[in-house]
Amino acid sequence: MKSINLKDNQFIQFHQKISFKFDGVKYFGYKGDTIASALLRNNINLVGRSFKYHRPRGIYTCGIEEPNALVQIISEYSEPNTRATIKKIYEGMEIESQNRWPSLENDFGSINNLFSPIFTAGFYYKTFMGPHKKFWKNLYEPLIRRAAGLGKPPKDFKGISNHIHHNVDITIIGGGLNGLLAAKSFINSNYDVLLIDFEEQLGGIINNSNKISLIDNKEPKDWLKETIQEIEDSKNIKILKNTLVTTYNYINHLIAIEDRFVGSKPIEGKVNSTLHKIRTGHTILCNGHIERFLSFQNNDLPGIMLSSSFEKYMCRYGLAPSKEPVIFSNNSNSNSLVYCLIKAGLKPKAYIDSRSGEEIEPNLFDLIRKNDVPLYTNSQIKGAFGNKKIEKILVEDSSGALNEIKCDCLCLSGGINPDVHLFTQSKGLLDWDEKDLTYKPSKPFQPTITLGSASGQFNFDNLNSDINEKLKTFKVKKLDVKLELNTNTKYNIEKLWEVSPQKKSLWAKSFIDLQNDVTTKDIRQAITEGFDRIEHLKRYTTNSMGTDQGKISSINALGIVSDLLDKKVNEVGTTIYRPPYAPLSFSAIAGRNCYEFYDPERKSPIHSWHLKNGAIFEDVGQWKRPWYFQINKDESMHDAVQRESKNVRENAGILDGSTLGKIEIKGEDALEFMNLIYTNSFTKMKQGSARYALMLGEDGMVKDDGIICKISDQHFIATTTTGGAATVLGCMEEYAQTEWPNLKVFMNSITEQYATFNISGPKTREIMKKAFPNINFSNEEFPFMTFQFHEFNGIPIRILRASFTGELGYEIYIPSNSAPKIWDNIQSVGKEFCLAPYGTEAMHLLRAEKGYIIVGQDTDGSITPIDLGLSWMIGKSKKDFLGKRSLTRSDTIREDRKQLVGIIPSNKADKLEEGQHIILDKEIKSPVPMLGHITSCYYSSTLGHDFALAVIKNGHSMIGTKAYASTSSMSTTGVDIVKPVFYDEDNKRLVS
Amino acid sequence: MLIINCPYCGPRDQSEFSNGGEAHVKRPDGSKEIGDREWGEYVFIRANPKGLFYERWVHTHGCRKWFNCVRDTSTDEILVTYKLDEKKPNLNNFKSVVKTPSGEPEVGSGNFTVEK
Repeated sequence: MKSINLKDNQFIQFHQKISFKFDGVKYFGYKGDTIASALLRNNINLVGRSFKYHRPRGIYTCGIEEPNALVQIISEYSEPNTRATIKKIYEGMEIESQNRWPSLENDFGSINNLFSPIFTAGFYYKTFMGPHKKFWKNLYEPLIRRAAGLGKPPKDFKGISNHIHHNVDITIIGGGLNGLLAAKSFINSNYDVLLIDFEEQLGGIINNSNKISLIDNKEPKDWLKETIQEIEDSKNIKILKNTLVTTYNYINHLIAIEDRFVGSKPIEGKVNSTLHKIRTGHTILCNGHIERFLSFQNNDLPGIMLSSSFEKYMCRYGLAPSKEPVIFSNNSNSNSLVYCLIKAGLKPKAYIDSRSGEEIEPNLFDLIRKNDVPLYTNSQIKGAFGNKKIEKILVEDSSGALNEIKCDCLCLSGGINPDVHLFTQSKGLLDWDEKDLTYKPSKPFQPTITLGSASGQFNFDNLNSDINEKLKTFKVKKLDVKLELNTNTKYNIEKLWEVSPQKKSLWAKSFIDLQNDVTTKDIRQAITEGFDRIEHLKRYTTNSMGTDQGKISSINALGIVSDLLDKKVNEVGTTIYRPPYAPLSFSAIAGRNCYEFYDPERKSPIHSWHLKNGAIFEDVGQWKRPWYFQINKDESMHDAVQRESKNVRENAGILDGSTLGKIEIKGEDALEFMNLIYTNSFTKMKQGSARYALMLGEDGMVKDDGIICKISDQHFIATTTTGGAATVLGCMEEYAQTEWPNLKVFMNSITEQYATFNISGPKTREIMKKAFPNINFSNEEFPFMTFQFHEFNGIPIRILRASFTGELGYEIYIPSNSAPKIWDNIQSVGKEFCLAPYGTEAMHLLRAEKGYIIVGQDTDGSITPIDLGLSWMIGKSKKDFLGKRSLTRSDTIREDRKQLVGIIPSNKADKLEEGQHIILDKEIKSPVPMLGHITSCYYSSTLGHDFALAVIKNGHSMIGTKAYASTSSMSTTGVDIVKPVFYDEDNKRLVS
Repeated sequence: MLIINCPYCGPRDQSEFSNGGEAHVKRPDGSKEIGDREWGEYVFIRANPKGLFYERWVHTHGCRKWFNCVRDTSTDEILVTYKLDEKKPNLNNFKSVVKTPSGEPEVGSGNFTVEK
């Protein structure tokens, strides 16, 4: 295919040469060129290999609908599957073709084409079944993945995108003739208007074709310039260029992606795309139409392109891809290409039309005659032939005789479709137009207006009245635009979906989906096999499932199917058009919500101290909590945890508990409210005392636990688990508002206002005395489960005597800003008592030794307080509390419920693991009745062996018996079921 | 994404809200005798109609207030929002605006793009 430049073009800057590389070879294009137009200028038309058969493929279109010319942009983080027909070139751009090895010219995978008779629809489903299921995972899938496909995924994620929100009255999608006229109507009106176009230049059909000769008696490009200027000057209209609307959601919510580096290389570290999230009152769709192709043998050869695309290359890119293309059409839309070619001093090699001579427009007839263009009416192309490019075609003329025509380019037109993707995404309904042979928008579901060819108006006769009528509700000024056309014809089309090949052969291929390599034969086979519903057929054949969503071919498939089934196309229906309209990168969707901004990190006021002291952190919800502290780089986690826990048992340890949820509850009816929320009764509780409390769901299952401090009947402070803080506050608010609005009570989170230090161990009292000399920490003055308010160096603090380790312990609550000072002070006075920090893992070990549960670890939403052996915490005399009634339901009083027990290995040297199943038999013989599983498991250096907590069926009555824990290697470990407490059962240490 | 009209703050994006299931489900008074069945129905059983539905929402990332609404579950359209202490609107008032996308049937998913 030899192309020529048409230098009379306003969009391409022919004085500005740009060099780029394609598959390692350097080429030149001009500023304004897309990759496709630049390659065509260099007479390159083989640009890729097809998905399945590795057939040579060229540039088929000139826009977003491109199925074939997908390339990998090496110079942009190796971005794959970029449409060469829309991506603009820039100096130094590096491009590679896709899905070929070792090279585009000589592709090893093209051997698939030889075997193609077996690669038909359903090939994978039928073939790769045996002999063993492992074959799929280890052999077939890796092989298929290597052979099939498009581009390679990029290794690094570097693209940066930001998000912009818009809230407007009217959004006009498409800045072509109708979009501009609609925008013009709204100039200086009271509406906020957004005009979005995918291209850099507004104008659509005015720029892309030769159809319009005069607008309001002006040259189209002059009218365009004036109109755009007027729209830009209007303060209420904003124009977004290079922006593609990909998604039309519910309530007129649109998503559009803007390319910020059109025609230049993205700068690293700068935003290269913007995702626009648009909320609009009305949407006006002016997104035009898409030309479809035709199926015949080898309709995928490089050198074949759509006729309107050829015209667009001439008008928009100053380039005729070929000097003498053959035109094959079944409709009047390709007329303007003939005019365009002749105007440029070129002429078609032949004009082939499936319509009869009477149907062809007389003007065109005259033009063709006058210029001696060979004309074939009532004729069809039976096939195209050539080696990696089109070399000749076979034409069956009206007499049935076959004519061979040598050519280097074939322009196809199978008719045009309104671009209904966005309209159907909005849930609008389509209707089949039997005259124009296409689906057209009929009933909108949302406030959606369609104009121009997007609404199925393929002629320009009613341009003014249509816009005026549809925009009537806005009460804007009426349009009166005078349009003169070059081709004064009404849209006319004859039904033609497919031409059958001349010779029947297993290798003859007429494609229906170029990107997914689906042939018309596949469609026939699917229907024969019973996949006659269009949605089934689509999935079985993968028709229109490529990244182009079959934009140029899906209607043809419907036509073929309706003929085969002898149904109307309306009865066949269409498959659903789903967003996005064109692929959208994950980085654009993620925007700035990635890396450090992906999820907020919450840090305690002591975080920097932890960092300096060897803390290894654990994520608890959004919190960063010290998991354990390494005293040197070589210390293993096991050693650190054992050292920390041993130190708590022998000396004293300090834990940063600032992440615990803290909720303050106040109000006249606070006492009644707390009695309703928690299982415990707080009525008889003394002021200044504290209580371990459980919160249930209405189903009676444990939802959270914590310590409640009663300051007075009108004032409580509750702690929650670190992860449960938001849920507990939410639950309290819900019940206060929805069930008991009569109670005067208020609650607020004070988690971040106060830091919490948990100090525990036998030497704690000594440390506390030294750290806070004016407070009396004796057992009489400060008994277990009481709290006191004090002031220390002007800082108000609250000290609670409580413990989660089983040792003597205190919790200190300090305003966050003053917390580091007091933490440092405790560290320095604690030195002589061997005080050391401990992390969450040691805390878990210590609490498990005492049999204290962790909600969410030892419980899973199906465990009641009775199952945990915590019946004593239920305020039985209370009339009501959350979940109370559920505790006496037939299901919750069953005796064989899973209940909390302790587990120790019968042979103390044996190891246990979290998640192990507890079973009764030593031998594993399936089916194995399972009693339950281990929920927490640790090695304790205090005990000298592994121990665990477990929930098992009827557990309480099994205490004292033996059972087995199954291992992942299908063996078992003998275990003793014991009470869930392993250390200081009498609480002597706790209250000492 | 829906726009939800918080009765306290005005129209806000759906992402600020959390759904709280069926509205006007009265919690039985715990201080009285309640049968297993009645209590079980309160805890576990909720309506799930296709069409108009009284529903609770909370403005989680806003005023944190609970409120009620009438939502059409087949279109997701929220027809009215009202405060907890306001009377529940009569569903008959909304019958005229019920429409389903693509004219789908009353039962089933019916993902049609072409008028049947």
